[in-house]
Amino acid sequence: MADHLAPAKGRAAARPAAARGRWPVIQPWLTTAARAGLAIVLGLAGWAKVTEPPSLQKLAVRSYQILPEGMVGVVGVGLPVLELALAGLLVLGFATRLAAAASALLLVVFIAGIISVWARGLSIDCGCFGGGGAAPRSGMGARYLREILRDLGFLVIAGWILVLPKSRLALDRLFGLHNN
Amino acid sequence: MSKAARQRSARDRLAEERRRQAQAAARKRALLVTLSGLAVLALVVGITVFVTTREEARTQQATAYTGPLAPMSRNADGSITMAKSGVNAPVLEIFEDFQCPICKEVEEASGSTIKRLAAEGKVKVVYRPFQLFQAEPLSSNSRRAANAALCTPADKWVSYHDTLFEFQPPEGKEGFSDKDLVAWGRDLGITGAAFTSCVNDAQKGGQVDQMTRYATGTRKVTGTPTVFLDGRQLDLQGQLLNPTALAQAITAAGDPTPSSSGSPDTTR
Repeated sequence: MADHLAPAKGRAAARPAAARGRWPVIQPWLTTAARAGLAIVLGLAGWAKVTEPPSLQKLAVRSYQILPEGMVGVVGVGLPVLELALAGLLVLGFATRLAAAASALLLVVFIAGIISVWARGLSIDCGCFGGGGAAPRSGMGARYLREILRDLGFLVIAGWILVLPKSRLALDRLFGLHNN
Repeated sequence: MSKAARQRSARDRLAEERRRQAQAAARKRALLVTLSGLAVLALVVGITVFVTTREEARTQQATAYTGPLAPMSRNADGSITMAKSGVNAPVLEIFEDFQCPICKEVEEASGSTIKRLAAEGKVKVVYRPFQLFQAEPLSSNSRRAANAALCTPADKWVSYHDTLFEFQPPEGKEGFSDKDLVAWGRDLGITGAAFTSCVNDAQKGGQVDQMTRYATGTRKVTGTPTVFLDGRQLDLQGQLLNPTALAQAITAAGDPTPSSSGSPDTTR
């Protein structure tokens, strides 16, 4: 079977021998590190929100003035749990690709939310890691920009995992995924 | 074709077939794992949202207070006292701004508990509305609402106060129009022309300023809601948004003299 796979590695063969030798070893560990990093971020964000009273969670969601009142409670309660669940999947390395895709989607939604708030001239605390509600207008633009750049950074990490899901210390390997 | 070539091509076909099968199996495994992952996410989030929402509705229902309110009266400084006659302690002072979203949350979470404890004679409540917000458009919303609340007859005060929080305009939007403020009063049975002109002409504006100065100057209140129990500031997350803990704190404050119904010398 191995000789059938060989032609597919034609591109890799064009690389210097040393790099070709190390990359298959390094890449899975890099993805493991990315998984851990993204899991820590999502875990902290989810935990900070989940330990707040539901009324504050709702307040944070409401301050974006995007969702109808009926959805505010569901998102206020559900979003932190989703973040924690995604962190759990990433830590375990189970359904890695799904977890990365869902995290990336979530980050895109967060970024869109902040852009929307910024464009409408609202001054709020993003509530990304707990808190939320109104915030001082001074330094509003710089704050939003910082939050967007930070989320873009996280998005890059999620994208890495999505494209290169093969990693070490992952439950997926037990199920025969990304283990060749 | 030579025998050797035929054999090789048969071997190739077999290998090709095996490879296809392996690929199909791998795809199936990937799909299964992804679906399991999706199921885990959906279940965890779905169950939590369901349970939390139901619990919240249940506690809100369990704590909703619809009984008779303790008598209310206006004080010279504009504040409103809600207490059974003879109950002088413990004192719960509520500094609030009708435009403040967290005040609305506190009202939703703990308003009923406060009313019930006051009606049971366990606490003397002093409402101190003021105008926290000083920038547009929040400030004029705040100001109109505070003015209108001060225009209401004392016995309607808490009901009007609840109405204002119920219809709190979203942050950054103009709201609490004089027309609405008058209409909400009418819905509660405040019909006199005096109320209408008091709202329309902002007749209590001076008192709003005075109460704002008292809150921010004399009492050093920098945000809302700020609630003092016998002069000690209560914690927002731990007590104001947690009616059980709030009730405990109030009961504990009144505990040293549980049987003496409102002995005036009680300070703790």
